[in-house]
Amino acid sequence: MLLHGRLSELCIFLQAMFVFACCFSDIESGPIATSGSVQPNGDRFKLEGRAIVPGVKTQDWISSARVTVEGEEYIGFMRTDGSFVVNDVPSGSYVVEVISPGYKFEAVRVDITSKGKMRARLVNFIKTSEVIRQPYPLQLRSSGPHTYFMKRETWGWTDFLMNPMVLMMVLPLLIIVLLPKVVNTNDPEMRKEMEQSMNMLNPNPELPDVSEFMTKLFSGSKSSSNKAVGGSKASGRPAVKRR
Amino acid sequence: MKSSVKMAKLTSLFVILLSFFCISEAVFEDQVGKFDWRQQYVGKTLFAHFESNTQSSKKMFVATDKNIFASFNSRTGDLLWRHVDKTGPEGSIDILLLHGQDALMVVGDGRLLRSWDTNIGGLNWEAVLDTGSFQAACFVAIQDTVKLVAVLKKAAISLHYLSNGHQKWVENLPDSDAVQYQAVYSGGEEEVYVLGVVPNSHLTIIAYSLEDGEIIKQRSVEASWLSSIESSCVVVGQGVLMCVDPATLALYTLPIQAEETPEFSQILLQSLDLEVFPGFQPVLVSSQPHPARSPLSEFFLQLGPDHHVLLQLNADGYTIAPLRDFQPAFLVSFATTGKKTVAAVMTPKNETACAINLFSVDSGRRLLDTTVLFPLEPNGGKPHTLYVHAFLKKDDSVGYRVLVQTQDHALTFIQQPGRVVWTREEALADVVTMEMVDLPLTGTQAELEGEFGKKADGLFPMVLKRLSSQVTLLQAWLAHLWKLFYEARKPRSQVKNEVTIETLSRDEFNLQKMMVMVTASGKLFGIDSKSGSILWKHYLENVQPNAAFKLIVQRTTAHFPHPPQCTLLIKDKDTGLATLHVFNPIFGRKSHIALPALPRPILQSLLLPVIDQDYAKVLLLVDDQYKVTAFPSTKNVLQQLQEMASSIFFYLIRSDQGNLSGFRLRKDLSTERIWEVVLPTEVQKIVAVKGKRPNEHVHSQGRVMGDRSVLYKYLNPNLLAVVTESTDTHPERAFVGVFLVDGVTGRIIHEAVQRKARGPVHFVHSENWVVYEYWNTKSRRNEFSVLELFEGTELYNSTVFSSLDRPHLPQVLQQTYIFPSPITTMEATLTEKGITSRHLLVGLPSGAILSLPKMFLDPRRPEVVTEHSREENLIPYAPEMPIRTEWFINYNQTVARVKGIYTAPSGLESTCLVVAYGLDIYQTRVYPSKQFDVLKDDYDYVLISSVLFALFFATMISKRLAQVKLLNRAWR
Repeated sequence: MLLHGRLSELCIFLQAMFVFACCFSDIESGPIATSGSVQPNGDRFKLEGRAIVPGVKTQDWISSARVTVEGEEYIGFMRTDGSFVVNDVPSGSYVVEVISPGYKFEAVRVDITSKGKMRARLVNFIKTSEVIRQPYPLQLRSSGPHTYFMKRETWGWTDFLMNPMVLMMVLPLLIIVLLPKVVNTNDPEMRKEMEQSMNMLNPNPELPDVSEFMTKLFSGSKSSSNKAVGGSKASGRPAVKRR
Repeated sequence: MKSSVKMAKLTSLFVILLSFFCISEAVFEDQVGKFDWRQQYVGKTLFAHFESNTQSSKKMFVATDKNIFASFNSRTGDLLWRHVDKTGPEGSIDILLLHGQDALMVVGDGRLLRSWDTNIGGLNWEAVLDTGSFQAACFVAIQDTVKLVAVLKKAAISLHYLSNGHQKWVENLPDSDAVQYQAVYSGGEEEVYVLGVVPNSHLTIIAYSLEDGEIIKQRSVEASWLSSIESSCVVVGQGVLMCVDPATLALYTLPIQAEETPEFSQILLQSLDLEVFPGFQPVLVSSQPHPARSPLSEFFLQLGPDHHVLLQLNADGYTIAPLRDFQPAFLVSFATTGKKTVAAVMTPKNETACAINLFSVDSGRRLLDTTVLFPLEPNGGKPHTLYVHAFLKKDDSVGYRVLVQTQDHALTFIQQPGRVVWTREEALADVVTMEMVDLPLTGTQAELEGEFGKKADGLFPMVLKRLSSQVTLLQAWLAHLWKLFYEARKPRSQVKNEVTIETLSRDEFNLQKMMVMVTASGKLFGIDSKSGSILWKHYLENVQPNAAFKLIVQRTTAHFPHPPQCTLLIKDKDTGLATLHVFNPIFGRKSHIALPALPRPILQSLLLPVIDQDYAKVLLLVDDQYKVTAFPSTKNVLQQLQEMASSIFFYLIRSDQGNLSGFRLRKDLSTERIWEVVLPTEVQKIVAVKGKRPNEHVHSQGRVMGDRSVLYKYLNPNLLAVVTESTDTHPERAFVGVFLVDGVTGRIIHEAVQRKARGPVHFVHSENWVVYEYWNTKSRRNEFSVLELFEGTELYNSTVFSSLDRPHLPQVLQQTYIFPSPITTMEATLTEKGITSRHLLVGLPSGAILSLPKMFLDPRRPEVVTEHSREENLIPYAPEMPIRTEWFINYNQTVARVKGIYTAPSGLESTCLVVAYGLDIYQTRVYPSKQFDVLKDDYDYVLISSVLFALFFATMISKRLAQVKLLNRAWR
């Protein structure tokens, strides 16, 4: 009981802390966002943010980058430390984008109220009123370089062999060639068994068979004995049929 | 008929099949720069500065009229970086000041003050200035170091710290309604001086304390002759204001810092033995090498278009000594290096060159061995501005390089001794229109062609001619082989395939063409599409800055021996008067053809398919009295026109009256109005009208449906797409209208209104579809809409299309998609026969050019996938259009401010040539259905030949084995 009470107390305390922290951060960020963005010339505001390309020095990419607000309606340039400010923006809702030919950045929608309160959220063109808050001043992190190029189809043995068409051709061949060697066709019992099964499967023995022809061709060139040819004739069929 | 339908079915199936594979069309990494090139421009230079005054410095900075701040490598002329600001007055650069690493810029008529780090091309800071139009700005030094910048506006002066842009102080100027404050001066003292003038009354001098902006003194000086400080006054020497008055032909001096009430002292030009060219407004040029010190006491006075005098203000502050008289001299400039200041003077040398010399400022003596030559081009502009970069050489003598800007916006950088290091044709930053012209056949090819053209003159001469042409062909081939062999031995870096006009010839697949580009400055360029090198240029003087251009290819290269002919119609936008410039597009030379007199404003021009006896297409020009002028207007042409008059229709748009009207030509070359469509201007205004491209081919007449029936396309060649925008811009009531009007009958085929939408509308009209893009004001997003017109499953008259005999209105299908980016321009690919599937080329503000398959813009995309739709290869409907970076045809070679995309067919059906122009020019090839008619460049010759060889040997071996086996069997 005691423990439980303590726990709930702790919970309440934590909650209170949390609420307090929220309030605190709200109080802190709210006035700064408003007071900091009001400009001397009346109802125009400034949009602030920072863009980061992980692993790349700012001087290597900022000279070709810029910030566009709603197309080219308002334009801002990158400072040497990667931060940016777009001045003279009236209230409204804008898509803010960092454009760089080298690196990808996600666009952000920024809403500015007529009093100059700022809010950043994810861009969603389909559900335009959906709000998923983003930090403001904007924190834009590049997700890496753009992929402009397709990979060439390179030719390698593994690609060639893994091709289904090739697999379909090569595997039966292997079986045709190798199976007669694996199964002892000289064993009379085996031969009988096979012939039986063959006859069951192939009701018309008169019909010429492709597999028969193939086995003849391949095993014929390998072994010179007549027996082996005869044996493979029998064994070839089930091998193919099994597949 | 039946077979053609079958063909259509087959080909459309084929195309569908192809397009199925082509969805992932993209550039391969090893193709970079193989077929494409980009040229970057900045525009007409307004301000130029060189980095530092050492011989090894490589950077220079320019600010241009296109609102661009850029840095060049002065050794090569290549861009190091470039910052493209907003177009229009909001981004215009008022002034560019350079101090060490920092470049200070006032932007947008005093809206913003920016400081750039010139080393890495990033922004140091940006400060918002108070409202008021910009007047002047200068650096202010405190104790010999430059720490501040002063910005003078119409009614206020402010001081900002250079380090962070923070404002030190801002003060309102007294009596700013009456006094026009125009100049600010600081010579390194504790004060900053503001000079203002009440025109033709008096001059006001106010000294502000640097510390707190307090007014230390304020004086008013009688100056009834002075109207503007900006145009007639400079500060020279120890703070002496020097003014020139063209009326009294006198110089006036006034010490700014004088304690007591000062007065202007007058020096008559006559007393200095100087004479002003009649009607010329004299100009003063002075130099302040360092902001912490007072300006030089030497200055230039320009007395006429080619007359300059170097003068010196004596130490007493009011007497002037002439140092040297320069006549003729076009341009003068000061340059400072270390403690030495020199004056550079450009003088004409002969017809083809100008000489630039350096003179010592103190004495006016010429510095030896300092002449560089500036070549004057016969069809170029005159020199306009001179920028000099002076530096001290190791032996302490003054070396220099010059940048000359000519009237046609070209920049030429010259090094001693007279070597042109690079030239930049900045006129190309503003291409207005362009055409691609086929290259001519080579001499030998043309000779061969000529052989067939002439009438036979006996068997024996014909045989001889045949043989001789074969011999020349053989010779050419041997020479080619020899060249290949010879070049193979040389290291690769030395081999240069220089393209010159002489070596130009058409290649096998007609992939290399001549790009004829017309720029807003009136300079014409001929550019080789393969390499991007400029082959000819022609500057048209006397072209008004706001002229409209239309380029027409009247005769192509196909009619040897007649040279190809292009006509440029230049129309003054104010008066409407037009002039014609006829030239050969391959060589750029002006043709000497009698031009028609055009005394009246031209409303419309149309190129007829009618050709005269010299194979030139006929151009009709309609003036404001609806009279028609034909060019060329030979008897033959007029006769043909009379015969065809009843079938020549044209339309006129009066967007100010909301009026669209159609006319027919009469036999006597007068016109009659046959229809009129009025779109009331109170509600909406006509934004754009587009017909179809005349060189467009549509291969398949219909689309094969899933159930094997054919849906025939409505292919009306006379269809016009008219786009209107509402005059009411309120987001709830704004709309965009699209009207499809038949240009012959005036019948409105279809009308689509997009509510809660506004422009700018970009649209493409081709085949049987119109694609347009607009801004959805409600959802705040860009949307694409596609209209597709079909006749239905039956064709009314399959042999010929007539607008007059088409009783049924087409079925119109429409679908709309969300496009996740704004766009700047749009065009469709074009191929020789129209078999290849179409792509839309969309220019994005990021500078990328997206190749969007037309498949995605198909109004028949189903919401629910059925068996039929799958069979037709229709992509299921998705509201949002994808943008994939793999579809960017220009990968990272972005084209800033894309203004237009030009597409041209090549000799290969699979290949379409694309030129995107704006600030930059980008040329490439696209393969909308992949390269189905040629072997791809990654075709694996090694693999295919090794497989062939392997098979060959395998047969050989197996044959041998079979023989052995047979032999063995026979022996048994």
